Amino acid sequence: MMAHPVPHHTTDKKRVKVYELRNNDWFDRGTGFCTAQFVPVQENQPKEPRVIVESEDQPDRLLLETKIVKDDGFQKQQGAYPDCMDREQCGYGLELPGSRGLRHDMVGLISENSYRMRPLTTMSRKFIDGVQQTFHNVLGGADDSLSDDLPMDMSTSTFTLPPADLANLPDLENAMRQMSNTANGREVLVKSIMDHEILPTLGNLVEMAEDLESLDDLFRLCNMTKTMLLLNDTAIIDQAVSDECVLGVVGALEYDPDFPKHKANHRQWLSNQTRFKEVVKIEDDNIRRKIQQTFRLLYLKDVVLARILDDPTFSVLNSLIFFNQVDIINHIQTNGGFLNDLFSIFADPSAHHLRKKQAVTFLHDCCAIAKNLQPPARQNLYSNFLGHGLIRVINFGLCDHDVTVRVHATDILVAMIDHDPQMVRHTIYRQLQERQRPLTDAIIDLLLVEVDLGVKSQMQDALRILLDVPPIMPPDAREYPPNQQRPRQLQTTDPQQELLIQHFYETSAARLFKPLLELEGQTELKFQPMQEYIFGYLNDILCSFIRQHQYRAKYFLITHNLAQRFIQLLSCKQKHLQLVAIRFIKQLVLMSDEFYMKHIAEKQILGPILDVLLRAITRDNLLCSACLDLFVLINKENVKELIKHLVENYREKIMALSHMDTFREMVSRYDQTEGYTTNPEYFMDEDEETGPTAAQSERRPTRPAAGLMEEQLTVDQAQEEYWNSVSDEEDEGPQNGPHCTNGTTATLPLLKPLVEYGSDEEDGVAGDEAAAEEKKDGEPSSTKENGKRPVTPTKGGPAAAAAAAVVVTPPERISEKRRREEDEDDDAFDKLLHSKRRGSNASAASASADIRKKMGISGDGDSAADGVVTPAAVVGSANSAEEDDTSPTAAPDAAPAATTSSLSTPKKIAFNISAKVKSMLGGGKPLEPEPETTTSAEKDKETTTTDVTTAIGKENVRIGDRGEETTTKSAAVVEEGDDDPDAMKD
Amino acid sequence: MSDLDRAIAQLRACRPIPESDVRELCHKAREILIEEGNVVTVNAPVTVICGDIHGQFHDLMELFRVGGDPPDTNYLFMGDFVDRGFYSLETFLLLLCLKVRYPDRMTLIRGNHESRQITTVYGFYDECYRKYGSANVWRYCCDVFDYLALGAIVLGASNTISPSAGESSIPTTPEGDEVEIEVCNAQGEVMSRFPRPNNGTNNDLQSRTNGIPPPSNTGPPGSGASGSSRGTVGNPAGAVLCVHGGLSPLIDKVDKIRLLDRKQEVPHEGAMCDLLWSDPDEIDGWGLSPRGAGFLFGADIVKVFNHRNDLSLIARAHQLVMEGFKEMFDASIVTVWSAPNYCYRCGNVAALLELSEDDSGLGVLARSNGDVNRSDGGGGGLGDSEPQPMKGPARRYRVFQAAPQDSRGMPAKKPVADYFL
Repeated sequence: MMAHPVPHHTTDKKRVKVYELRNNDWFDRGTGFCTAQFVPVQENQPKEPRVIVESEDQPDRLLLETKIVKDDGFQKQQGAYPDCMDREQCGYGLELPGSRGLRHDMVGLISENSYRMRPLTTMSRKFIDGVQQTFHNVLGGADDSLSDDLPMDMSTSTFTLPPADLANLPDLENAMRQMSNTANGREVLVKSIMDHEILPTLGNLVEMAEDLESLDDLFRLCNMTKTMLLLNDTAIIDQAVSDECVLGVVGALEYDPDFPKHKANHRQWLSNQTRFKEVVKIEDDNIRRKIQQTFRLLYLKDVVLARILDDPTFSVLNSLIFFNQVDIINHIQTNGGFLNDLFSIFADPSAHHLRKKQAVTFLHDCCAIAKNLQPPARQNLYSNFLGHGLIRVINFGLCDHDVTVRVHATDILVAMIDHDPQMVRHTIYRQLQERQRPLTDAIIDLLLVEVDLGVKSQMQDALRILLDVPPIMPPDAREYPPNQQRPRQLQTTDPQQELLIQHFYETSAARLFKPLLELEGQTELKFQPMQEYIFGYLNDILCSFIRQHQYRAKYFLITHNLAQRFIQLLSCKQKHLQLVAIRFIKQLVLMSDEFYMKHIAEKQILGPILDVLLRAITRDNLLCSACLDLFVLINKENVKELIKHLVENYREKIMALSHMDTFREMVSRYDQTEGYTTNPEYFMDEDEETGPTAAQSERRPTRPAAGLMEEQLTVDQAQEEYWNSVSDEEDEGPQNGPHCTNGTTATLPLLKPLVEYGSDEEDGVAGDEAAAEEKKDGEPSSTKENGKRPVTPTKGGPAAAAAAAVVVTPPERISEKRRREEDEDDDAFDKLLHSKRRGSNASAASASADIRKKMGISGDGDSAADGVVTPAAVVGSANSAEEDDTSPTAAPDAAPAATTSSLSTPKKIAFNISAKVKSMLGGGKPLEPEPETTTSAEKDKETTTTDVTTAIGKENVRIGDRGEETTTKSAAVVEEGDDDPDAMKD
Repeated sequence: MSDLDRAIAQLRACRPIPESDVRELCHKAREILIEEGNVVTVNAPVTVICGDIHGQFHDLMELFRVGGDPPDTNYLFMGDFVDRGFYSLETFLLLLCLKVRYPDRMTLIRGNHESRQITTVYGFYDECYRKYGSANVWRYCCDVFDYLALGAIVLGASNTISPSAGESSIPTTPEGDEVEIEVCNAQGEVMSRFPRPNNGTNNDLQSRTNGIPPPSNTGPPGSGASGSSRGTVGNPAGAVLCVHGGLSPLIDKVDKIRLLDRKQEVPHEGAMCDLLWSDPDEIDGWGLSPRGAGFLFGADIVKVFNHRNDLSLIARAHQLVMEGFKEMFDASIVTVWSAPNYCYRCGNVAALLELSEDDSGLGVLARSNGDVNRSDGGGGGLGDSEPQPMKGPARRYRVFQAAPQDSRGMPAKKPVADYFL
């Protein structure tokens, strides 16, 4: 019982409902007021305590009158009601086995608040406690004959425990039970238990009672022991697990009145000294005792008391165990001689295998315990172990023929990696330096041949973590030339780790992925059941490498054509292997990396998946869902490259699936653009406005998108850092990111499309990342302007169109410059924006932070390009709209040309837009989503306004930070208009 | 398949089967589960829907006693088989064995506790480790968790309650009044009956169609055959969606669930997470869940969802209810809880929900994914009419208590055998 509520008095009346159990059916007897009273039954007889419920409607009628007898059944059911119970009101059923005619009836009390059934709410629980409290004192008699001689509110502190012998057991038990009901009483009780040395006598009492075969006494002893242990006192528990008391305590607990027909065998279990194995003798008696006590405490916690343990006692037990373990571990790791003895077992060729096995198990136990310790203590332990040659032990264990040894060695390794992967990496690095076989190779070998799936999957985890690229360590920055000088290296890695990864790709990777590589040329795939699992693990590993290792993984993937190997799995019979293949492709798509998209298209990867889907579509199975998931992803992310590839190559198959939105949209997306693009962002603008999915996905909460971004978070941070360092002084920022990385900042024409990076590998990486980054925004920045280009006016023919398109960019740069100079002018907006900004949670501070701050944007994890470039895009579209009053034609051939056009026009229009935006924002009217104008013909006419308004409208419907971003765009536009009074007059 | 039967017998005696057998079992289970959609369709000849079990093996035996033995009764378990109780392993393995043995008579869907992360904290990992000395069995089971379906649709449940075997101590309701809910005790005796409320709309509907609802322009509810098919007669009592937690703001149609790649650890957010973690609550719209995952959703959400998907009822588990079951929001959603005396000390009773087969002949509809070439992907005729709650299927709740204590050993964890520290 964890709560000890204040006793209520008998005067308390509670409104209750009374149910009676008749033939196992709860029958409602009515509602009334419940009291507990002493009622005179007969003349000259002591009064009897009774629970009385008087009817609410007819006060004379008694709904219930039942005698309270000294009976465990009247106790509320043992145990606390955990707070974790799913917010449901915790109540409990009270059962009152009546003593007379009501013998087999059960009476439930129920409060008004709940209904139908019999549970009690907490309200009435207090009441019951009150009733119980009141009567506990009275029920203290030796049997059912009750006397009211005892004062009702007897102070328990005046109580002393009767001497502990069998004759007194009933008294003792009752006294304990009473006292344990109040806080005061518990204190006194703890003291008296210790004073009277009751625990040490338990053993004798149990034996005596056993000899007499007095089950009642044994039950009483059990109840007493439970009461004592649940007093939740460290001293008592300490004493209970001491050598002299423990057998008595658990002996008493073997006879649980809750299980009258069972007897546990705790004593037998605990007295078996051979359970304690000492690989190397522990000299310190104190520590030995602690080890044994810890074992007993664990036994108490897990076995003896498992069912009745309440939270406080649970935590007391746990903390006792914890402190013991701290002492034990501390002793072991500071005891050099002991460690030497221990580790020398493995060096000794004559040592018996069993002894080695036990030593591994010992170390395993140490590491398992160490998981609970504070990190510094754990660190010490592991360093100590490593110093003594833990790696050798692991190597021994991993190669052992006994599976338990392998399991334990694996656990040790994994525990260590969990604690600090860097530590293990350093160890491996040392191995490499010393030309030893690195641990990773041992892991790979084991992963490939291991039959124990648990070990296998742990090996997979271990390998993944060990070859992860850890976040950049501050100390390493010193050793490195600063980022600016090495702009290509986006992911600064620990040189040791670099070496490790390099070694891996050079020597081990091909071996690791051998099962996959061997698929090449195989037409019929047949695997042993054990073989099958490896593909799942290899998939997990490779997916992680793709995320982490950038160009190395790319190179490896391409040279070995791994995607195709995975696709081969689609042809095998086992569906779970087909799933593996689909998941791998999904990972590639998730990377949002131009490079992988190209690869997928080039290798015709999606065709077989489409076939699988077509086969599975009628089955509605997991395979079908997985395929759909992939295609929905491609469509949702609007991966142009892949959509184009799909529709161009598999139009019929797609059409066959066009009853599903996803596929219909794909086709229509493709048809809208007529396939004129290899640029994934090319037609983003149109799609934002038109595509049915755009509308749909706008409505969706952003959570899935966030989840998607999470996948790339690490990359993103590194990127941000990079941009921070490189492009702070550059207004254009990431728009010409790839060029920045080449060191030729801001001089290249801005119009160069983002995707046309050279095929140089390093460049490709950087560029792809930039592209990926932008794509993530969902609101592409620089490419927006590209997207506009084809939709250029017809007025001046293609040349003019081209010119107009080209004009688009320079104003942007100017506008930014101006903005920087004059951003104090835009007070109204500034205020607006700043107030917005305050409300938002600025998460990742990002690149070109100065600009963004001035503009009132909090870095919400977008690419740095966002706030900077978008105004230009708006201007650009404005431009085209202005000049184009007639119906536009798509002019995809708009090539970058001269940059001679005047700058005034865009500005003018920019102002027009800004006026509109201003009126929207300033009008105090909440921004409503504009009805979406969808057909592309219409759209081009209205490019300017709809661009801005729908963008704002849409984004405002979404979550805050998106809306903010939009506001910024409009702000930028406004500034631009403001600084040109002439334009304003226009 | 005598091996399997032997394993079932051994597990029924609450004795774990050897590790190699577990591996074999999980392998087989995976083959079966992979063929199931994210939303399994179950036809309702006497389907018993059960909520959380939480490793209370002996109470599961009691459940089977009350509900009928497995192949005879069609069972649907709504997740949370493991954790908290001391026999998670035996419980889950037995259910899995039964699933493999009688794939069409057992449906297991995933609960939030069927996850690696949760089981490491709440006991299943620990239990496996104790019972086998390594975590392998836990890993096998977790792999199977990833394949479990996310929900189920019960089709063809009857509007009328099938005659119950037990004696009724309650006078039968007057003729003509249809019984909507019947509550029975563990002995099958009727404890109470609730007639269908005769409010205007329902009456109207009933008189107009003589018990058969008007043909709606939808196919079998939740089967994906929504849209312009016209002419398929809907399910007379509407379908029942069974899911462990509840609804998700990302899922407006049951079909959306089918688009998830469910073979993964339960994510921390997103549709799959919500389905397993959300709770209904007396709020409007969506609310933050105090659990830190999933959402709270109000009556309006449930009603709109049910209307849009042609559902009459959502059955879910996930929350302890002292009475074993709890209907909310005009009986549009019900929580079923099947772990009596939860954690061996909560003092609650448990319940299972029984849906009987529709004998009108209209209820049994083939599962259909043949939603090919439908022009309109089912915009869902919402908005034009006020969502009207569909007449729910007749429901019989069987309430039962924890297995008598003597029928089981003392619940306790298995102690570690040898120790070094």
